[in-house]
Amino acid sequence: MVPGIYHDGRTTRATPVVISRLDDRLSWCGNGIDGTAPLSDIASSAPVIGVPFTLALPGGAQLQVAHDDMPDDWFARHHRIERAVDRLERMRSIAITSVVVVVLALIGLFEYVLPWTADRVASHLPHRLEMVMGQQSLALLRGRVLLPTTLPAGKRDHLREVFDQFVRALPGLPPVHVAFYNAPAVGANAFALPDGTVVFTDALVNVLPDDRSFLAVAAHELGHQAHHHMMREVLRSSGIVVVFGMLAGDVTSLGGVTAAIPVFLLDNHYSRAFEADADDFAFKALAQQGIDPIAFADAMHALEQAHPELSGSHQLRYLSNHPLDDERIAKAQAASQDFRRKHGMH
Amino acid sequence: MHDETMGSGIFLPEINETVVRRSERVHGFEFHGNARDYFRIWIVNVALSIVTLGIYSAWASVRTRRYMYANTSFEGSPFEYRARPIPILRGRLIAAALFATYVIAGHFSRTMQLATMGVVGIFMPWMIVKGLMFRARYSSWRGLHFRFIADYAGAYQWYLLSYVPMGVPLALAGFLSVGGHPIAGALLFLIGMACIYPWIKGHQQQWTAEHHYFGGKAFRFKSELSAYYRIYGAAVGIALLCMIPTGMLLGMIVGAMVKGHVDPKQHPVSVILSTYLCIAPMYLIMWSYIHTRMTNALYNQASLAGYRFQSSLEFWSMFRIYLTNALAIVFTLGLAVPWAKIQMVRYRASCLRVVGEGTLDEFVQSSSSADVSATGTEIDSLLGFDIGL
Repeated sequence: MVPGIYHDGRTTRATPVVISRLDDRLSWCGNGIDGTAPLSDIASSAPVIGVPFTLALPGGAQLQVAHDDMPDDWFARHHRIERAVDRLERMRSIAITSVVVVVLALIGLFEYVLPWTADRVASHLPHRLEMVMGQQSLALLRGRVLLPTTLPAGKRDHLREVFDQFVRALPGLPPVHVAFYNAPAVGANAFALPDGTVVFTDALVNVLPDDRSFLAVAAHELGHQAHHHMMREVLRSSGIVVVFGMLAGDVTSLGGVTAAIPVFLLDNHYSRAFEADADDFAFKALAQQGIDPIAFADAMHALEQAHPELSGSHQLRYLSNHPLDDERIAKAQAASQDFRRKHGMH
Repeated sequence: MHDETMGSGIFLPEINETVVRRSERVHGFEFHGNARDYFRIWIVNVALSIVTLGIYSAWASVRTRRYMYANTSFEGSPFEYRARPIPILRGRLIAAALFATYVIAGHFSRTMQLATMGVVGIFMPWMIVKGLMFRARYSSWRGLHFRFIADYAGAYQWYLLSYVPMGVPLALAGFLSVGGHPIAGALLFLIGMACIYPWIKGHQQQWTAEHHYFGGKAFRFKSELSAYYRIYGAAVGIALLCMIPTGMLLGMIVGAMVKGHVDPKQHPVSVILSTYLCIAPMYLIMWSYIHTRMTNALYNQASLAGYRFQSSLEFWSMFRIYLTNALAIVFTLGLAVPWAKIQMVRYRASCLRVVGEGTLDEFVQSSSSADVSATGTEIDSLLGFDIGL
C-alpha cells in the first residue's frame, strides 16, 4: 500500500489515491477514482534523487508516487542504465571520485584526445584548403600591416637564394617560398602562412647578423610548414571553442564569460608545444646541412640586442607565445654541443 | 479570456468570465531543491558525459532538468520534465556540427563563414519555434503538458524581419561618418537603436507568451511597449554610468604599463585577464539589470485564463546572486555550478506568484501528443538565447 496522486491526463484535478500491488497488477483507489492495470502496461519514470516517480497508465492517466515511497521491486526491470547511475549519485565517495574523474578526463581530453583528433583530421584535408587559408590571411594583412619591403633588391635576391638552397636539401617539405615585407606594426618578426609562404619583416632581416642566423629563423618557420602547424592549430583551437561552447551552453548564461579564459589559455598551451616542435625541427635541419645550431642562439641574442628594452622581460618580441627564451637558447646550445661532437669539434 | 478550441474541438464553458472577482487568491511557487543533492547528480553526470565524449550528456541534462522541475512546485504539485534523451542527443549533434562549421569556416574563407551565418540566421526563427515547442511539449504540471503553437510567420516577422529597420540608422550613421560627421552619425545610430530595439523586444515577448497554451487555455499578454522603452532607456543610462569607472580603471592599467615599460604584447595572459576583470563588473550589472526587468515584464503582463502572473525580481538581489555565483564558479573552477543554479532558481521561484480566484482545477487538456524534435532547443541553448517562459 503506497500513497500516490492520480492525474487523469485531461484535467488539472489531483486526486489522492492508495496504490497497491497484487501479483502482476497495480490497483489504485480513492475519492471516486479506482482502477487497475497490469504492471507490464505501466511505464515508470527513471529514478532521480528527490524526484517523484511518474507511472504512465494505459489511456493517458498517470500516478505520482513520492520518491521515497516507491517499492524497489515494482519496476525493477525499467531503466537499467539510469538505475545504475542513480545508485552512483547516492554515494558520497562516488561524488568525490567523480571530481577526480572529471579533472583527469579533462586533462586527457585536452592533452591527448582533442589534439590527436584535430591532427588526424588535418592530415586528411586537401592541401588546397591550406592554400586558401594562407592566401586569405595574406590578403587580409597586405596593404594594412604588411607594406612593400624597403630592403635593397640585391639583399633580397641573396637571401632568397640562400633560402631556396637550404630548402632544396630538406626532404619532406611542402612547396614553400620566402617573402619580405615592411611591417612597422609587427616589428622584428617572422611567421609562416599555411600556403607555404614564410614572411620575414624588414626589421628582422636588418638585425640578423649573418646568413646562418637568417637560416636559423627560416628553419624554425620551415618546421611550422613541414608539420602543418597552422592547419593543426586552427583545428585544435576550433575544437576547444566547440567543446567549451557545448560544455558552457548547458551551464549558465554566464558561461560565455568564464569559458573565454580557459579557451585562451589552452590555445596558448598548444601553440607553445608547436613552437618547441618547430625549434627541434630547426636544430635538426641546421645540423643536417652542416650549420651549427648555435646560429639559432645567435639570432635570439641579436634580437635581444636590437631590442634592449625587452631583455629584462626574458621574452622577445619575436612571437610572444614562444617558449621562454632562456630555455630555447639552452636547447640550441645543447643541440650545438651535439653537433660539434659529431663533427669532431671541441 | 481566451478559449482554445484549435485542433481539439473541445468546448470549454467559461466559468470565470462573468463572475465578479471576490475571492482572489495568491498561489506561490516553491522551490525545495538543495545544492547537496543537485551537486551529486550533476557531478556524476558531468563525469559520465566527459568520459563518453558527450554522448551521455543528453541523459545527463534530462536528469538534471528533471531534478530542477520536480523540485519546483506550484499549488503543492511539482512540475515535471518529460523529454527523452535520444532526440536531445540528435539535436546536440546537429547543433555541434553547425557550430563547428561556423567556427572552422572562419579560418578558411570569409564568404564561407558569412554563408554559414546567413543559413543559421535564416533558419533561426524556425529553430526558435521548434525549441519553444519542444520545451513546452515536455514540461508538464499535474499530468498536463504545456503547448507552443507553431507560428512560423510570426517567428520570421519578430525574429528576422523586424531587425531589418535597424539597418536604416546604421546606414545613415555610416553615411554621416563618411561625410565627416562621425559624432552626429553615432548619435543618430544610438537614437535609432533606442527607438527600434525595445519595440522588437516587446513584440518578441508578446509573441512568445501568446503562443503558449496550458490545459486548453492560451496565455494572454497585455503588451505595454512603453515598459520596454523604460527598461532599455535605463539600461543605456546605467551603461554610460558604468563606463566612467571602467574606462578610468583600464586607463590606469595601461598607464601603469607604459610607465613600467611593459610591452602589452609580451604579457597577453595578464593583459587579457585584467581587461576581463575591468569589463566583467559592467557586463554583470547590465546583464542582471536587463534580465531582471525583462523577466518581470514578461510575467507581469502575462495571464492564463483567469489567473495573472506576478514576478517581483529585484535588481540588487539578482545582481548579488549573479555576482556571488560568478565568483564562486571561478574560484571553485566550476564545482560551484550546481550551487549557483540552485541559488538562482530558488530566488526566482520565491518571486513568482499567480493571482486568481479559481482553484486551478479547471484546466482541460486538448488531445495532441505529437512528438517534437529537440534540434531547436539545443541550438538556442548553445547560442545562448534566453527565451524560456
